[in-house]
Amino acid sequence: MEKLFLLAMNGLIWGLIIALIALGLAIIFGLLDIINLAHGDFFMVGTVLAWATLQSTGSFWLAFIVAPFIGFILGALIQQVVIQPIRNTAMLSIVATFGLSLILQESVRITYGPTPGRILPPIQSTIHLFGVDYEVYRLFAAVVAILALGGFFLFLQHTKLGTWMRAVRHDREIAVAMGIPAGRVYILTFAIGFALAALGGVVAAPITTVDFRGGVDILPFCFMAVIIGGLGNLPGTAAAAVLLAFVEGVIQSVTDPTVARIASLVLMSAVLLLRPQGLFKGLTR
Amino acid sequence: MSAKAIERSLWALFAAFMIAVPWIIPALISSFWVSVIAEILIWSLLAASVNLLFGYVGLLSFGQALYFGFGMYGVAIGIQDLGLSFWPAFALGIVASMTMALVTGIFAVRLTWHYFAIITVVFSLIFYFLALTNKWLTGGDDGINFALPPTINIGGFNKSLTDPIFQYFFVLCTAALCFLLMHRLVGSPLGKAFLAIRDNDMRARLIGLNVYLLRLIAFVLSGFLAGVAGGLFAFFGRYASATYMFYHVSGEAVVWAIVGGAGTLLGPLIGTTLFIIVREIVSTHWEHHSLIVGTVAILAVMFAPKGMVGLWNDFISRIAERSGAPVGAVELRTEP
Repeated sequence: MEKLFLLAMNGLIWGLIIALIALGLAIIFGLLDIINLAHGDFFMVGTVLAWATLQSTGSFWLAFIVAPFIGFILGALIQQVVIQPIRNTAMLSIVATFGLSLILQESVRITYGPTPGRILPPIQSTIHLFGVDYEVYRLFAAVVAILALGGFFLFLQHTKLGTWMRAVRHDREIAVAMGIPAGRVYILTFAIGFALAALGGVVAAPITTVDFRGGVDILPFCFMAVIIGGLGNLPGTAAAAVLLAFVEGVIQSVTDPTVARIASLVLMSAVLLLRPQGLFKGLTR
Repeated sequence: MSAKAIERSLWALFAAFMIAVPWIIPALISSFWVSVIAEILIWSLLAASVNLLFGYVGLLSFGQALYFGFGMYGVAIGIQDLGLSFWPAFALGIVASMTMALVTGIFAVRLTWHYFAIITVVFSLIFYFLALTNKWLTGGDDGINFALPPTINIGGFNKSLTDPIFQYFFVLCTAALCFLLMHRLVGSPLGKAFLAIRDNDMRARLIGLNVYLLRLIAFVLSGFLAGVAGGLFAFFGRYASATYMFYHVSGEAVVWAIVGGAGTLLGPLIGTTLFIIVREIVSTHWEHHSLIVGTVAILAVMFAPKGMVGLWNDFISRIAERSGAPVGAVELRTEP
């Protein structure tokens, strides 16, 4: 019972972090029609930036500002240099972002090194919950993820930039005719996508390892969340990410992690085949 | 010179070069490059399997490594565990990957575009993890090593792939046969039906084509190509491993096919050649060759959005135009 609770909690919190990353993927995909194979590496860059901030300043907390900021700048740059010339061509975006993924991984391998490292959680204490000693940092990570998710949805619904983003995604032609600077919205979207993934990386860094291949496992998971949540359905994407990780955590309590991964993949294929329009289509509104 | 004449003489030149490789290349560079060219030919078949689905039927598969892996394991398990000789093991690998393609295809081709891409990744991940956990059968990450049985053993005549020249020609013949089959397929009524589905599946359905069945056929055929590639690669390395079933391998094949030119016969071969040669040249001098490979991929889509073959076709038609010969009759459209 304790094991079930522990793994289900871990899954839930991991799912919240994945939701952050997958949201970035979903807005890039929805707005720019870019299939971003480098998105897992955006997350990985976030974990490495967290490590670098800790090394250079001695404070992990600073990384919560530094990493998304650098991610935002990098995202804007990448959008301008790589994505802009091939926008609206999903096929070419696969190749370009694959190249981008190689470049990011290799750059990290050169600077950070090839061996995976660990960051100690900045909060070392544990709390007694339902018969287990649970790490406080994980609870803190969940709170950060929930705040970031909430902040992002508020931004999307209640600010001018957020409204622009929704407008351009809804109908680009009309949005441009209404005077919305679509070009700037594209840059902003990609930059926010990168920043969200980088923030996810910082939050996850003390839970997982810091490794130049850290994004490879994350990527399929995020894509599945986007698809199962329903293309273009952002709350659905977040919910799907949490659900997937939670289910995997629960299955892990009875079998080993690889089998749990296989089980969740099988579940996912069933969802894809039976409800390709997304798990939540028709449930909202 | 007309475009057609240029193409024909280039073909002859290309064929002559490929046959002469085992003698020219060691004399010019080193015999190491003969095996690199053999490797390129093998991987180009995997890229061709992506291209068959994407370039001709309009389905983007991110899971071709699964069938590549089944080809590898079919050969390795056939030789190591079942004690098969060369040809039955090869056949086992190909049949295994085609069967797998049929079983997964029944589900996968119900979906299209993003959904299809995702479900093919999901399927390949499932079997990747299964291969990792079932070490008794697959050897997991370590893989299976095996000793090569002779390819031909009639009377006293005995040939095996341990002879590098024979190995090269075996790979060349197999790859050439596959590309020839692909060429015939594209020209056949079946190939035309594929193109009809690629361009507009609704219209294809309305003129009475069974879109689901045709997509399934294409999927199994692409499983065949990937299986042949996997089987060859197992013979080539005397080795099979689960790492080759990971989705990164599928992704590389997609990149090779698109950079070379999706929807063209030789595009996958050209894309594969470009990337493997860059990798081999740079990796001997510099550990971080992935930076170059990544840059090449990005530059390729920026400056040659129709792939290398598209670039080449533009070039040829410009030459033909200048010399006054009629244009056209070059290769058909490249973009899907």
